[in-house]
Amino acid sequence: MLKIKHFIEQSWLLIVASFLFGLLIAVTNAGLDQKIRQNEKDKLDKLMKELITDASDFEKAIEEVPILGKKGKVIKTDIYKGVDDVNNVTGFAFIASGAGFADKIKLVIAVDKTCEKFLGFKVLSSNETPGFGSKIAEDEAESEDDFADQFKGAPAGKFELIKTGKAEVRKVIDSQIVAISRATVSSEAVVKIFNTYFEQVKGKIKELLQKKEQISNDKE
Amino acid sequence: MTKNNIANAELYKETLLAGLWRENPVFRLLLGMCPTLAVTAAVKPALTMGLCVIFVLVCSNIVVSLMRNLLKPHLRILIFTLTISTFVTIADLFLKAFQPRMSEILGPYVPLIIVNCIIICRAEACASKNTLIVSIIDALGMGAGFTLTLCVLAGVRELLSTGAIFEIQIFALAKTGGWFEPWLAMSMPVGAFITLGLLLGLVNAATSKKA
Repeated sequence: MLKIKHFIEQSWLLIVASFLFGLLIAVTNAGLDQKIRQNEKDKLDKLMKELITDASDFEKAIEEVPILGKKGKVIKTDIYKGVDDVNNVTGFAFIASGAGFADKIKLVIAVDKTCEKFLGFKVLSSNETPGFGSKIAEDEAESEDDFADQFKGAPAGKFELIKTGKAEVRKVIDSQIVAISRATVSSEAVVKIFNTYFEQVKGKIKELLQKKEQISNDKE
Repeated sequence: MTKNNIANAELYKETLLAGLWRENPVFRLLLGMCPTLAVTAAVKPALTMGLCVIFVLVCSNIVVSLMRNLLKPHLRILIFTLTISTFVTIADLFLKAFQPRMSEILGPYVPLIIVNCIIICRAEACASKNTLIVSIIDALGMGAGFTLTLCVLAGVRELLSTGAIFEIQIFALAKTGGWFEPWLAMSMPVGAFITLGLLLGLVNAATSKKA
């Protein structure tokens, strides 16, 4: 009994404070959670809209697709479809991530509606070296390396990274990507993310397209 | 005005000014070095970090000052950490909701305010021993001193690395026909160390001359 009394005497303030602070955080979180989620959705929608330009709305097409990483770690990602005003699918997008030079790189990758060509990628978050690795996020208008532009319209498949290449080589849209000079690690990271994710996402998108085709054939 | 009031006013003024210069957390006490080096690549994130620290400092000093007579000596650090982490979490949530861009730029450095020595130091050295008003004034002075220092450091780095301050172009860039070639190293960690070292040297030189 004395022990309990001693315990309460010593720790009542800590217990009460923990309860009140927990309550304060819970109330703040409940009040702001919706806004935070909306901000995240707006950012993702904005990036997907920049990639799939003819889409007017985006919705989840396949949820939680398991992606097997290099070290056997499974990451789940959602596949979104972009639809136009008359509800026709105009493209697919998904979030992909991998280790960069300084930190994790998170990308939004888009493919066309037939899953034959990439529409490009946008950086959702990264912490690459300013002026070097940060160029992965820049397109032709912002950077002479035009790294991101090499993915626009490229055949949807595996990419190969070339460490050096002239401007003319960069302009050819194919499965060879010229690295950003002095930022090979960041360039390699982007190519790795594409290669790791797309092989596994492609199958799911193709399945979805086949199902859709079958449904429309049955209707006819 | 009674003598007591005059003494109080003097104490409040002294407390407020201490954080700005005499006991400036960065230049004089060398506290909070992690955000000082990490978020001063540009003025906007530095200012945001400074405002977050002011919010957390003021709130934690208020709570600690109100609880000061109830604190058990061996549990006080635990209570301080609990108080600070609560307000840091709230600041982080507000940033995510109303300043998502800044929240992204600052990344883990907002949650890391929990281990910022300035806040725990003020809770221990001031709020746990002083009245509510003195604790609030101390938090404002220290917070303002920290924010101003961060902004000065960020101003120098942003100007040299991009030719702009607060994203307003000051120097015409060479690539657009101007004369200024951005000094990219200033936006990297090396730039933070060099600028901080030089500013600390300047402050020391200025204060040693006075002495």
